[in-house]
Amino acid sequence: MIIINKILNVDDYYFDVFMSISEALTGFSVNELQSTGLTETYYTHILKSLEVATFIEFLTVSKNIFEKSSDPKQLEEAIASEIMKNTRMSDIAGHVITLWYLGTWEGAYINDLSYQEGLVWNLMNAHPPGAKQPGFKSWAIKPVNSNL
Amino acid sequence: MSQTEHKKNVIIVGTGIAGSLIAKLLTDHVFDPEKGKMIHRADAKKTEKIRELSVLMLEAGLEAGIELDSVSSMTTYNEYIRTFYKEAAKVPNSPYPNLKPAPSPNILDMEKITPPFPDKKGYLVQFGPMPFASDAIRVGGGTTLHWLGTTPRMLPNDFRLTEKYGIEINKPDSSEKTSINWPIDYETLKPYYEMAEFEIGVSGDVSKQKYPISEKTEQYYGDYVFPMEEIPQSYMDHKIIHGLEGTSVTLNSEKIPLLMVPSPQGRNSIPNPKYGKTKIIKAETIQSGYRLVLDSSEKEEYKALGSVWNPYMGERCEGNASCVPICPVQAKYNALKTLKKALYKMNENENLVRHPYLEIKAQSVVYRLSVDHADQDKISKVHLRKYTSKDKTDFVEEVIDTSDAIVILAANAFENPKILLNSKYTVTENGKKVERTAANRSDQVGRNLMDHMVMLTWGLFPEPVYSYRGPGSTTNISSFRDGNFRSQFSAWISPLDNWGWSWPTFSPGSDLAEFLTDGNFGSKLREKLTYRLSRQVLFHFEIEQLPNPNNRVTINDQYMDALGIPRPVIHYELTEYEQKSMQQAKLASDQMFEKLGIKDFTKYTEQDKNTFMYDGVRYSYNGAGHIVGTHRMGSNPDDSVTNSYCKSWDHPNLYVVGAGNMTTLGTSNPTLTLSAFTIRSVESILTDLEKQFKN
Repeated sequence: MIIINKILNVDDYYFDVFMSISEALTGFSVNELQSTGLTETYYTHILKSLEVATFIEFLTVSKNIFEKSSDPKQLEEAIASEIMKNTRMSDIAGHVITLWYLGTWEGAYINDLSYQEGLVWNLMNAHPPGAKQPGFKSWAIKPVNSNL
Repeated sequence: MSQTEHKKNVIIVGTGIAGSLIAKLLTDHVFDPEKGKMIHRADAKKTEKIRELSVLMLEAGLEAGIELDSVSSMTTYNEYIRTFYKEAAKVPNSPYPNLKPAPSPNILDMEKITPPFPDKKGYLVQFGPMPFASDAIRVGGGTTLHWLGTTPRMLPNDFRLTEKYGIEINKPDSSEKTSINWPIDYETLKPYYEMAEFEIGVSGDVSKQKYPISEKTEQYYGDYVFPMEEIPQSYMDHKIIHGLEGTSVTLNSEKIPLLMVPSPQGRNSIPNPKYGKTKIIKAETIQSGYRLVLDSSEKEEYKALGSVWNPYMGERCEGNASCVPICPVQAKYNALKTLKKALYKMNENENLVRHPYLEIKAQSVVYRLSVDHADQDKISKVHLRKYTSKDKTDFVEEVIDTSDAIVILAANAFENPKILLNSKYTVTENGKKVERTAANRSDQVGRNLMDHMVMLTWGLFPEPVYSYRGPGSTTNISSFRDGNFRSQFSAWISPLDNWGWSWPTFSPGSDLAEFLTDGNFGSKLREKLTYRLSRQVLFHFEIEQLPNPNNRVTINDQYMDALGIPRPVIHYELTEYEQKSMQQAKLASDQMFEKLGIKDFTKYTEQDKNTFMYDGVRYSYNGAGHIVGTHRMGSNPDDSVTNSYCKSWDHPNLYVVGAGNMTTLGTSNPTLTLSAFTIRSVESILTDLEKQFKN
């Protein structure tokens, strides 16, 4: 079942842009981001936390980057020059990356799930402390997927 | 003011590990009027004549924290876990309720001190000059809810630092020297260590315990195995052991071989078949009273004890990697497990039923004892304030008559001395009125506050070690726990830490912030984080602090809590003995890092809360949560608060138990040792109870 949410006054298209730019910024695929189960929660949280105009500006800049980039290298360069070199944009990008990686916005967790779904733990082949416990003796050996 | 109606035989203040152990052991015994003796419930014939002893426990924490039926305890504990998930700073106290009427010290409140102005931000009033860096929590089950669970025993020489190394300390407010030998030695405590290891459920491998002591393992442990098999050492431990095995560190031109030991721990692994059946801690009658023994005549197999709400959860450590501040499945021991055994006893049909002779009153903050000078200086009353809700400060004043009861203070090493110092009474000496405070003939109440000073060193291992997995620490370097150097500087234990740099730098958040500042994103950011986080190693150097009469808990009527009860006022300093040890530990760390090819990222700055310069070099440290020493035991009423059975020298019906009894700190985590001597104190309590029942 596909659920299409109309979120506030930003239409679905912007949500897709948000997911695409999140993929490019975090290095995690849209699929991996969706597996947190928190995509809409995060999107609405940002909408509540930022001036809507600022967020739309960020998403419009992102949209333009996607439209003019035809391969990953171009995309990376465009993000570097148009987002990361612009203090206002890079600040939002940093917030978005931190949200996916740690589950926090301005240092606070969105909810009890956002801590458990932080993606940073996957990077170190571990799990969020206190959740998703891997089982007795798992820590004694090299983790699975550690040769990726 | 209301008077509690029922007369109790024993009043226990605090439901942490000390109070719970005593409650459990006492409620396992009954009085047999025919024999005129206290006997274990298992040996009691089904006769109506057996007399139950009646125990009242008082807990400052919330009511919910001591409700141990399955539904309530699961609900409360899950709320602790949910809070932990949501708290931004996941410090030791973070999962547990922060109570306005019964506040707890919190490391987030600790700040640098600019004498003479104290840091008053949190519950403690800290005059320094160095902030005391450890916290505790006032909750059912006490601070065992957030202990790490490491359970090494103390070493034989830890009990005799004066005899062995000539170390003496000043008497209070004097330059006259006094001994810091314990009133008991390792051999005396050994059987009680075994009882504590049974009750806590220790996992470990005796044959792999190597220490720098002259006693052989067969002497130190005897013919013995821990109840459960070793908790597996981490992948990281194996990498470090591989790099250091067979090497040594040179300190003061002395070569010290590196001994890397799998740490005994109070968390569940696989029951060791060699341990045999389960046991009972049982009192036997001896000429002078009672002796506790670990009785093996039970028929049941020894089993790991899971969570309080469901015995089929937490039978093994599941690798949650969050022992501090909370084990989600309770595979790590906490005192609620022992408290539950006190509260629920097996009936004739082998069903667990609520024991009617143990009452626990929560939200009850004990703040003062009354002393009846006319009646042998007995503790005649316990005063408490019972509050109504966690956010409000209204309370009901209650007084419990204890003239026919035994009073046991089993709170932490801030609260026990605080209550004693607040218990003033007047006596007439040589025709003059003199004011005294309870149990304080020696002037040692509140003094000798100690903690392990944890110097941390951290770096990147040359290959991935995949930290952030497993219990907090599964291996320790024991080489520096004893040696002749102790006449000049502190011994230390070096646990290897499995959780990356999370403690000193707040990794992984700080690593992410650092790489974001450098403009990283996408695959480059992933690579940098993966590289950094999978190579992080952290070494601890837990430095023994000597007792020092000037390091103390006092009270002062300028500083009161929300219920109008004095807050602990702390004075705390380091001596050169400890400072020099940190210098030596850093030298040891440098040598080990070099051997392992670890790139050192350790950084100590002036902004650190606990920092000092020694020989022109800066060192910083953290607290270990090992709050001990403030009502030391001793062999002489003139320089100690209790005897070796934790019984006050000054009052015939008062025991003061817990970490505060430790004469010195040694290099082991204190919970196992305090459990051992607390269990031993029950022998003396049973003797007193026998007299009480015969009267």
